[in-house]
Amino acid sequence: MSEKADIHDYLAEFDDIPGTRIYTAKRARQGYHLNQFAMSLMKAENRELWKADEAAYLDQWPMSDEQKQAVLARDYNRLLDLGGNIYFLAKVFSTDGLSFVQAVSTMTGMSVEEYQAMMNSGGRSPDGVRSIKDAR
Amino acid sequence: MARISAGIATSHVPLLGVAVDQDKTRDPYFHPIFSGYEWTKRWEAERKPDVILLVYNDHASAFDANIIPTFAIGTGEHFKPADEGWGPRAVPDVIGHPDLAWHIAQSLILEEFDMTIINQMDVDHGLTVPLSMMFGTPAAWPAKVIPLAVNVVTYPVPSGNRCWMLGEAIRRAVESFPEELDVQIWGTGGMSHQLQGQRAGLINAAWDNRFMDSLIGESEAARHIPHIEYLRETGSEGIEMVMWLIMRGALGPRTRLLHRHYHVPCSNTAIGHLVLEPC
Repeated sequence: MSEKADIHDYLAEFDDIPGTRIYTAKRARQGYHLNQFAMSLMKAENRELWKADEAAYLDQWPMSDEQKQAVLARDYNRLLDLGGNIYFLAKVFSTDGLSFVQAVSTMTGMSVEEYQAMMNSGGRSPDGVRSIKDAR
Repeated sequence: MARISAGIATSHVPLLGVAVDQDKTRDPYFHPIFSGYEWTKRWEAERKPDVILLVYNDHASAFDANIIPTFAIGTGEHFKPADEGWGPRAVPDVIGHPDLAWHIAQSLILEEFDMTIINQMDVDHGLTVPLSMMFGTPAAWPAKVIPLAVNVVTYPVPSGNRCWMLGEAIRRAVESFPEELDVQIWGTGGMSHQLQGQRAGLINAAWDNRFMDSLIGESEAARHIPHIEYLRETGSEGIEMVMWLIMRGALGPRTRLLHRHYHVPCSNTAIGHLVLEPC
């Protein structure tokens, strides 16, 4: 075995990574309907209904009010906290006509231009953002 | 008998598909990426493999949050490009090889890998972008393709060691198929990238290159890298690199490097590409 056999130890380590939400079973359960809503936007006819009235479209899904508000606000960090997964949420920002770089940059506190400049000069260094407890 | 003649590793960033589809591969941003695949395109045109076993992950396209198979093999006659939210890519349908796919599926289950069998599914950029990188824009893909989808999204995803073992079992399965077939195995995804949260944009070129080094020759070190190391060192989506280990495991005890390429960035991602031969 190359992994820790204990599921509690395995999961606990994930909370030690700064600025990162690993999509665990707990998040997948919390975000199930949110992610299924996002998935529905893969169909062109659903995208039309969504664009016509976002709030009414969301009301068809048994999501929490917090989740609905975060979708309407396109608050992707909040959506991650509420169980969203980036590959599902990608259907929302793709429907908005945003690229991955444009959407992802909104989670970093940087402008799109600043974020692109960082990527073009080699990306974000892992130094200092590997572990919260070890500050490395 | 069928045999695995080579292994390819490559990133599968969706933006690369956009660049191909919009004929932008010679633009200054994309040229340094695509130029690293020119060698492989020429090599593939000479090698003409019969079948590609293409290891990739579905990005919430064929599988939604409802059904989450750890390892799924496509046994269908053909697979259509998925609509990922902006319409399907205008690339040829992917033609499967049901005889070999079912043979591999049955053999793997006998070897205690509990495969999910998929007869009908659409395939997303994870599968079609590598085909575009290696074959360009043909009217039809020049090889049959067996999709092998791995869950690298919902945790726990399979361990690197399990992926390597699956590759070893795939090699035995292919070698017990009676027909003469030249089969390649491609492991896709990665390299370092994180698409979410305040830490998004993480790139670790030193780690990525050590990982590529470790797949050449006899080393088995990569099979023991724990998930937490991928996540800390290469970003949350860097975990896709476990799929490269299925390819590496299928090549047997020793590999020889034919071609290597690395470039930062493409969109949010470090591009890595290897062509390996068993030896």
